[in-house]
Amino acid sequence: MLAIDTKNLEKTYGQHKVVKGLNLQVDEGEIFGFLGRNGAGKSTLINMLTGIIRPASGSFSLLGVPCPNGHIKKMIGVMPDYSVFYGNLTVLEHLKFLSALSGKPAAKERCLDVLQWVGLDDVARKKASKLSFGMKKKLGIAQAIIHDPKLIFLDEPTSGMDAESAIHIHRLIKELHKSGKTIFMTSHNLDEVEKLCTRIAIMKDGEIAKIGTMEELRSYYRSTITVHIKHGSIPEKEMPSFEQWLGSFAVKPKSDGTYTTFLLKNEKEIAELLRTFYQYKIDVYRVGVEEPTLEDIFLEEHYSNDLTENI
Amino acid sequence: MFVIGKKECFGLLKGTKSLVVVFIFLITAYYSAKFSPLMTATVDLNAREAKDMYTVGILFLVVILGQLFVMGLSHDSINREMHERTMRFLITRTSRTNILLGKYFGILLFWVLCISVSFFITSLFSKSFHFFIFFQTICILTYQVALTIMLSAMISKPGMTMFLSVILGIAFPIVGIWLALTSKAWIAWLKYITPYYYLERDDWTCLVIVLIAGLMLVIANAVFGRREC
Repeated sequence: MLAIDTKNLEKTYGQHKVVKGLNLQVDEGEIFGFLGRNGAGKSTLINMLTGIIRPASGSFSLLGVPCPNGHIKKMIGVMPDYSVFYGNLTVLEHLKFLSALSGKPAAKERCLDVLQWVGLDDVARKKASKLSFGMKKKLGIAQAIIHDPKLIFLDEPTSGMDAESAIHIHRLIKELHKSGKTIFMTSHNLDEVEKLCTRIAIMKDGEIAKIGTMEELRSYYRSTITVHIKHGSIPEKEMPSFEQWLGSFAVKPKSDGTYTTFLLKNEKEIAELLRTFYQYKIDVYRVGVEEPTLEDIFLEEHYSNDLTENI
Repeated sequence: MFVIGKKECFGLLKGTKSLVVVFIFLITAYYSAKFSPLMTATVDLNAREAKDMYTVGILFLVVILGQLFVMGLSHDSINREMHERTMRFLITRTSRTNILLGKYFGILLFWVLCISVSFFITSLFSKSFHFFIFFQTICILTYQVALTIMLSAMISKPGMTMFLSVILGIAFPIVGIWLALTSKAWIAWLKYITPYYYLERDDWTCLVIVLIAGLMLVIANAVFGRREC
C-alpha cells in the first residue's frame, strides 16, 4: 500500500508557486528522503501533507485514506522543523498531553520508555524551556512517536545538531524503520540521506527534479566508473600484449607502473579487467572504485542547470 | 477538545490568577452589600435587588470589567500558539474546530469556576443563592470569552490583541451600555449585538447572548480554518 500518494499538489503564495503540481508516491515501510535547497518547497510539502497548511489545488492520500481526514491524524507522527515547546510544561507532561490529544493517552511508563529510547529519561521532569537545542530535537522525535503512528514525518531531524547527537538520531530512525514505520524526512545533510534513505527525491523550484534509489540516481548520473588498481610489476615478456590490451580501452588508462587508473563504462568491465590481470599473472593488491556520492549528484543537478540558465 | 480544554483551564487555574480573580469578586460582593443602603438611595433598586446586593455586585463587576479580565488573561490563547508555532503540535493531531472549541470551553470553565466559588462564598453571607443572576453572569461570560477567542483567531499578532484587550476592555462596556440606553436610531441597532441590551430585562432573553457567542465562534472557526500555522 502507498503511504503517501499526491496528485498534482500545488501551493501558491500570491503569484509565486512554491510547489508545482507534485506527483509523489511513497510505499509503506520506506525511509524516503527529500532533498533540496532552502526554499525549494520541502517544508511546504510536509506542511501540506500534515494539515498545517492547505494546498491550493490537487489531492493527496496518506496510508490509503484521502485527506484531509481527522481520523488519519491518529496514525501519523510529525516532527516540525521549528521546535518550540510549551515552556511551562515538563518533558513528561508534553508526552502525556500530546498523546492524549492524538486519542491514545500514554501511561507514565510508556512516556518514560519513549524518553529512555530517545535519551531524555534524565530530564523527564525538566521544563521544556530549560532543554538544550539537541534535547528539543529529541523531544520532537519523542512526541512524534509517542502515539505509535504508522507514518512519521521528520522535517530536518538533525539540523543544527552536533555529530554525536546526529548519530544517535540516525540510530533511532533506523530502529523506527526496522519496527515497520514509514518515514518521510527532509534534510540538508546529504550524507545522512544517502546513509539512511531507501529512496530519495531531489526537489528544485517546487518540482521533483530526480527521484529513485541511491543506485538509480548514481547510474543516471554516472557515465564512467573510475577504478584504481594497485598491482605488482608486469612481467617483461607479457608487456607488449598487455599494452596492446590496454590500448583497447576507449580512454587510455593512466599508469605509473604499479598504480593504474581506468575509466570504465560499467561494472562488468571491472570483472573483465581483473580477469585480464590474473591471465597476465600480475598481482593485484588493491582495487578502488570511485562512485558519485549524493553530494556529487545533488551539485550536478543544481549547478549544471544553474550554469545552463546563466549561459 | 476535552484535552485542550483541560490544559487551557488548568493553565489559568495554576498560579495566583484564579485566587486574585476570586478575591476581587469577593471584595466587590462584600462592599456591594456593605454599601447597599447607599446604592438603594442613589440607584433605583427594588427591595429584592437590594437584598441580593452581594451577587448583583459580582454581575456588575462582570458587566463592567469582565471583558477586560477575560481578554487580559486569554487574549493570546490562539495567536500565541500560532506565533510560537506550538499550534503545529495541535493541528497535526486534531481538527481546528476541536482546538477552537477546546480553548473556548477551557477558558469558559475557568471563569465559571471562579464565578461559582464567588457566588458560593457570598451565598454563605447572604444565606441565599440567586440562580437567575448567576445565570446572567454566565451568559455574559460566554459572550466575552467568545469575543476574546474570535479576536485571537482573527489577529495574528499577540501584541495587537493585548493592546486591543485594554482598549476593548474599557470601551466595550461603556459603548455597549450607552447603545442599550440611547434612542439615536442610526446607531441604536448595534445594541442587538452587544450583551448589555439583553441584560436589562429580567427574563430569559439573556439566552440571546449565548446565541451571539455561538455566532462569534462560527466566525472564529471560519477564520481559523483558513489560517496558516
